[in-house]
Amino acid sequence: MLRSGGLNTGSSDLLSARRRGSVRLAGAVAVAITGLAVLGRNSDPAGKPLPAAVTLGAAIALTGNANLYGQDQRVGLELAQRWFASTPHPRPVRLELEDGASDEPSAIAAFNLLIGRGVIALIGPTLSQQAFAADPIAQRQGVPVVAPSNTAQGIPQIGSFISRVSAQSSVIAPLSLDEALERDPQISRVAVFFAQDDAYSTAETAIFQKALAERGLTPVSVQRTQLADNDFQNPITAALQQKPQLVVISAQAVDGGNLIRQLRELGYRGQIVVGNGLNTPNIYPICQRWCDGVLIAQAYSPDLNTPINQTFRRLFQDANGNRTPGQITAQAWTAYQVLFEALQRLQKRGEMDGVTLGEARRRLMQEVLAGHYDTPLGPIHFRADGEVVQGRFYVAEVTMEANGRHGSFRLVRSFDVDSDAGGPTP
Amino acid sequence: MPDNGLLVQMILGALLGLSVYLPMAAGQLSLATPAFYAVGGTLAALMATHADHQGTISLGAVLWEMVVAGALTAALATLVGLPVLRLRGIYLAIATIALVEIVRVAILNLPFTGGATGIFGIPQPFHHPLGYITLSGGLLALCGWAFQRLETSRLGRAMAAIRDDELATRCMGINTTRVKLSAFVASAVLAGVTGVIAAHYLNTWNARQGSFDVAITTLAFVILGGSRSWLGPVIGGLLLTALPELLRPVGDLRLVLFGLVILLGPVFFPQGLITPALLEKLGRWKLRRLKP
Amino acid sequence: MSAALLQILLNGAASGGVYALVALGYTLIFSVLGVINFAQGALFSLGGYLTFLLMGGRIGVNGALPGWHLPVALPFWMALLLAAIGAGVVALLVERVAFAPLRRRGADPLLSLITSLGAGVVLVNLLQILMGAEGYAFPAGAAALEGLPEALLIGGARIRTVQVVLLLISAGAVAALTVWLERSRTGQAMRAVAEDPTAARLMGIHSGAIVRLAFLLSGMLAGLGGGLIGLSVSLAGPYFGISFGLKGLAVLVLGGLGSVPGAIAGGLLMGLAEALIPSAASGWRDALAFAVLFAVLVLRPSGLLGRRLQEKV
Repeated sequence: MLRSGGLNTGSSDLLSARRRGSVRLAGAVAVAITGLAVLGRNSDPAGKPLPAAVTLGAAIALTGNANLYGQDQRVGLELAQRWFASTPHPRPVRLELEDGASDEPSAIAAFNLLIGRGVIALIGPTLSQQAFAADPIAQRQGVPVVAPSNTAQGIPQIGSFISRVSAQSSVIAPLSLDEALERDPQISRVAVFFAQDDAYSTAETAIFQKALAERGLTPVSVQRTQLADNDFQNPITAALQQKPQLVVISAQAVDGGNLIRQLRELGYRGQIVVGNGLNTPNIYPICQRWCDGVLIAQAYSPDLNTPINQTFRRLFQDANGNRTPGQITAQAWTAYQVLFEALQRLQKRGEMDGVTLGEARRRLMQEVLAGHYDTPLGPIHFRADGEVVQGRFYVAEVTMEANGRHGSFRLVRSFDVDSDAGGPTP
Repeated sequence: MPDNGLLVQMILGALLGLSVYLPMAAGQLSLATPAFYAVGGTLAALMATHADHQGTISLGAVLWEMVVAGALTAALATLVGLPVLRLRGIYLAIATIALVEIVRVAILNLPFTGGATGIFGIPQPFHHPLGYITLSGGLLALCGWAFQRLETSRLGRAMAAIRDDELATRCMGINTTRVKLSAFVASAVLAGVTGVIAAHYLNTWNARQGSFDVAITTLAFVILGGSRSWLGPVIGGLLLTALPELLRPVGDLRLVLFGLVILLGPVFFPQGLITPALLEKLGRWKLRRLKP
Repeated sequence: MSAALLQILLNGAASGGVYALVALGYTLIFSVLGVINFAQGALFSLGGYLTFLLMGGRIGVNGALPGWHLPVALPFWMALLLAAIGAGVVALLVERVAFAPLRRRGADPLLSLITSLGAGVVLVNLLQILMGAEGYAFPAGAAALEGLPEALLIGGARIRTVQVVLLLISAGAVAALTVWLERSRTGQAMRAVAEDPTAARLMGIHSGAIVRLAFLLSGMLAGLGGGLIGLSVSLAGPYFGISFGLKGLAVLVLGGLGSVPGAIAGGLLMGLAEALIPSAASGWRDALAFAVLFAVLVLRPSGLLGRRLQEKV
């Protein structure tokens, strides 16, 4: 690879043939690129009439580091697709899943691919960083996006076609703190951990720390971790030297689960409050029996007693043994449900007849934002800019069985709030 | 059928492949390309979002970002290159991987680069991917012209000589340090300028864009395409960037197949797809032979 | 010694032991071939999953065969041993596919950077298709350390018991390997090949067999590491071994490429350096590892305990 292998030994005839060959090949490459550019130019089918069966495209992470979330999202989307196909509806809807992987270029490629195939709306991508890359493309081409799991600040503000069903943690995070403080009003020493290379966790910890400050608490220790970390001996022993009475964690399932386990193993006995990133059954095999007693703020509770959530939970359990569904799965279902119901409302009013795909996309976006939805997450609707307004949030406590392998999020209390206006009212 | 967006990514891949190829043409296995790519992208993201552009930006402003990114990466590469280029082979490769990781962590931790979320809402110079194809394709054509000329220039011949036998080249009175540094700096500038285009095309920029994975992927462009001619990394970059997308129909197996291509490619084509012998054959091919 | 200082030392040793184990896998192969096996991280993952399956663990819902499990349920230690052998065998396969054909043709050995990476990508993605992306805990993981407390208190400093066990096993494996390399005929032959392949061939040492042995051993080390890490922190998805791979690379260079005592010293030193970073600057931790690596390479290219720098271009 490094030695040129006798470039200098060639005769001048060989060299000139080689140079001529290079020029010819370069010319061929240039022609090929130009040809592909011209052929690929008119890939946007927005001007064509809307087909009878409309297609929703989902670009989620089925490979790469975020695939743990993507697999859960696939389950939610496929359950929703089967369920709503079995309910009476005037317009048939198909679902196309594509791998948006865990990086930005792949998310863009998946969005482009689905838009080119003529989907009426998009669900995804899985990570907020990917959304900042791919959503502007959908925005420019006027394709509605409903994000099932993007929680970073500024996602709906990317444009008028971008919305999400994943609420930011600004409202819920303080609720779990209040629960911990109610259980032990003597708490004065708090340690904070967060995954500093995760967009969601860095945003959430800012909210946690602000809420702590409002309650007169200054963290005695703030530890930064990384998503890929699995050994937390260093930050934990550093924090425990400050003798905290409450530990607040903003992380994702795997790193957060390990952090909880190691905190307990290293002798921490106080309360643990974790953020929404750990709101998934995927933490059980990681922190096992040590998960027990952890307080968690939730945007979704499997215990919510509404018909739609019971349906969702039953379908999930039929398909997945006796497990309970997690938030990521519920939000993916909700994204599908929002688009499906908005489509059927338009169809019933006859507004989907004889329009182009581009016009149908525009009307669908307006209808999505105008509607109210009864979803497994609880009642939701949208702000004009596409931000979700969720009516109900939950605080749960993780309860593990004695063998440490199965567990559940036991609902401690739910709050009816207007996540738009702010103040929660228990 | 690749759409225009994929074509932009393919051309960016070809440019990064060329950036890895440049030091290699002088016998240096440097994997520093993603570090300078990340510097260029971050710079463009900062410059473009700090001025108030209302979502769009003039082509002139983007070209100016490319100039600034080129100057910054050239300065950085000179600073880093002097100590690092004394290393050889795998040692140089690992030192440059270290550089990539240091830059990644720095972008993640610096107070003005947006942390984990990165910088988003980067304004657009074009309304359609065709604009990006013209810009990046133009840069690629410019590079092709320069590389074709380089092969017969004094610098190019000195690079090839160092690749063959560094000691002998030094004995011939050629300042090998300067030649190697020139190749390293040119590689950095190309990576930085490519980063500027990529930042605008991706709409957002964060620390993950320049990672160890990118270092290995771009190296694969050169190895599979062929490291004996500048066309090797170009064709390797174009094809390997497109490959995961073209493999979509096989579903879950697509990354397994991608891995198999990287695994078996060098086994069956140790010199890569574009070999000097192939180019000679192409050069000798007479067009009139096609006539009956 | 103050408790705080002791804590830092313990923390450094705990993570450094794992780093040394990873680096040692690279070292064995580097010493005989002068190349790096980028599939090492994937073999790490494989070791963890093999241990899980041999203990009778069930494949989760996202896997190819949900609910399937091996008809055996071995105790942890036996599963770990078999998983290490399994990973060693797969490492032999990697050698066969990604390294041997290149050597046979006399191709540039650096091409194997790419082929071994390809082998790693294939392995990790096959694991994902088979096992799904979810995390797994060993079915009877806690039973492996039955009767021991969760953490040990040593002079006011705390360390998790499982990490002490991990450190002891790593140290045992490393010591056994070192003694074997020094004393046994095969070990001496391996060192002879590492010193001078041509001379070794003249002395009648079959270098192909030595290379395969190096792969087998380094695969076994990776398998052992993966299983132990699985016990300590669960299996966090098929990519979990990869993050160890990159850090191991830094340790490899820090200790001097191809030097066994160097890999151990480098691992411990890296662990210690990370333990010394104050929490306010912990975001820069990964940069520290590579900044040290960078400085070592530039100031002392042969590493801390490495042999004089050889030209391997």
